[in-house]
Amino acid sequence: MKQRDNWHLTDSVDHESGEGDPFAAAVRATRMPMVITDPQLPDNPIIFCNEAFQRLTGYERDEIVGHNCRFLQGPATDPGGVERVRNAIREGAPVDVDLLNYRKDGSTFWNALYVSPVRNEAGVIQFYFASQMDVTDRVEAQKTIARQKVEIEREVESRTVALKDALEAKTLLLHEVDHRVKNNLTMIGSLLRLQARTIDDPVINAKLEAMLERVDALATVHRRLYQSDDVTKFDVGAFAANLVSDVVGASGREDIVVHTDIDAIDVPSNHAAALGLVLNEVVTNAIKHGFKDGRAGKLVVRAEHANENARIIVTDDGPGFPDDADGSGGLGWTLIKKLSRQVGATTEWQRADPGTAVVITFPVGS
Amino acid sequence: MCPQPKTLEFLIVEDEALLAMDIEAIIEDCGHHVVAEAASLADVEALHMIAAPDIALVDVQLALGSSGLDVSALIQTRWRGTVIVFLTANSAKLPADFAGAHGVIAKPFSRNGLKSAIRYIQEGVIAPPPVSSRPDSFKAAPAICERWRC
Repeated sequence: MKQRDNWHLTDSVDHESGEGDPFAAAVRATRMPMVITDPQLPDNPIIFCNEAFQRLTGYERDEIVGHNCRFLQGPATDPGGVERVRNAIREGAPVDVDLLNYRKDGSTFWNALYVSPVRNEAGVIQFYFASQMDVTDRVEAQKTIARQKVEIEREVESRTVALKDALEAKTLLLHEVDHRVKNNLTMIGSLLRLQARTIDDPVINAKLEAMLERVDALATVHRRLYQSDDVTKFDVGAFAANLVSDVVGASGREDIVVHTDIDAIDVPSNHAAALGLVLNEVVTNAIKHGFKDGRAGKLVVRAEHANENARIIVTDDGPGFPDDADGSGGLGWTLIKKLSRQVGATTEWQRADPGTAVVITFPVGS
Repeated sequence: MCPQPKTLEFLIVEDEALLAMDIEAIIEDCGHHVVAEAASLADVEALHMIAAPDIALVDVQLALGSSGLDVSALIQTRWRGTVIVFLTANSAKLPADFAGAHGVIAKPFSRNGLKSAIRYIQEGVIAPPPVSSRPDSFKAAPAICERWRC
């Protein structure tokens, strides 16, 4: 058995501290495959290998000793890795590389190769010491993980595309619905306006005009909602300012001075239409009654937070309301009452001396 | 209802017949005059015989798949002095400089909103800058905003 001769091999190694060295004996006996090469000889041949190396590679000792390590390489060995080893040896530097190596029977294994130079006292490289380790399992596991990672990434990618497509379809649908709502509101407004023009009876006409203003208020609510960044909230303060400027501006009443002091007040958007209609009634009433018959005056609109509530106060400096005033019966009054209750608001008329102040108080989410 | 220091001539470019009628009525309520109505780019192209309108209200999505932006370009080459105002539910889709238009009135407009916008534009056209403050219903192009101090 040639392998048995290994035990005596170090005896023939020509090295200052070679013979009978217990460390050399340990190298021979360890499970870690190891070789030593001699760069002083042509082609840097292996001059020693241990039994573990023979077991790993399947070669006999005399097939190993005297040959350069490259007999372990095969067609699928990465030339880049081999190049790294070659460069390290040229530079006299240690190197650590995983190489695909071939056994004598042609089977392959992943070899975690570590090569380090051994220098003599003068610093000249005497040998190269190379340890090997079969890390096929580790490398295969890493390859499997890498392959799975690619698969998962591909899957995530395809699902993301599907989600994006779905979102795009929904966004398109939302825009389409929004567009139709706007179109229909515009057409309802137009229909009412066109009808109002054909009616001569001033009483019916006034009612139609009031109805038109309500539809307009709803249109303004919708427009403000779709123009805002957050469709779940509605800034009723900004809406009040918008409404007052529209109503007074369109009346052409330069004799009505508007003063606004408005905080942003967000309410849930499902309260927007009701609060918008209440405000519309209050503001149009103030102009109809507070400044009727061309009476000049000042309209003050304030919107402010008050603890957990917010309030909007619309004050005119008109004649005020008589002691026996009872607005009940009119649709406007009913709308204010019912819609206020629907959103947890209270609407109160107060004497402002001069004029009337209408205070709308409503809860706001924290 | 609207003060009328001067009657202005309007062109309405709107493919929704109801809306066009309604806008015309509101413009006339404000004491102005509508010289012509058009529903598409082709309609506007056919209008070369009329005198330059003072103001053109132009919907962006028009009949026969035509675009208000093309109408705006045509008006600017044909009638240099005409003030263009877009009427659209999609003002976000307009270019940042409003393609040479003075501004935009968002749909759905309220009668009051449209009236205050017309009034403001009328003041700006006749004796800029307007004396009224800019109504929410009208959004001026950046260049006009500077000139009209809105």
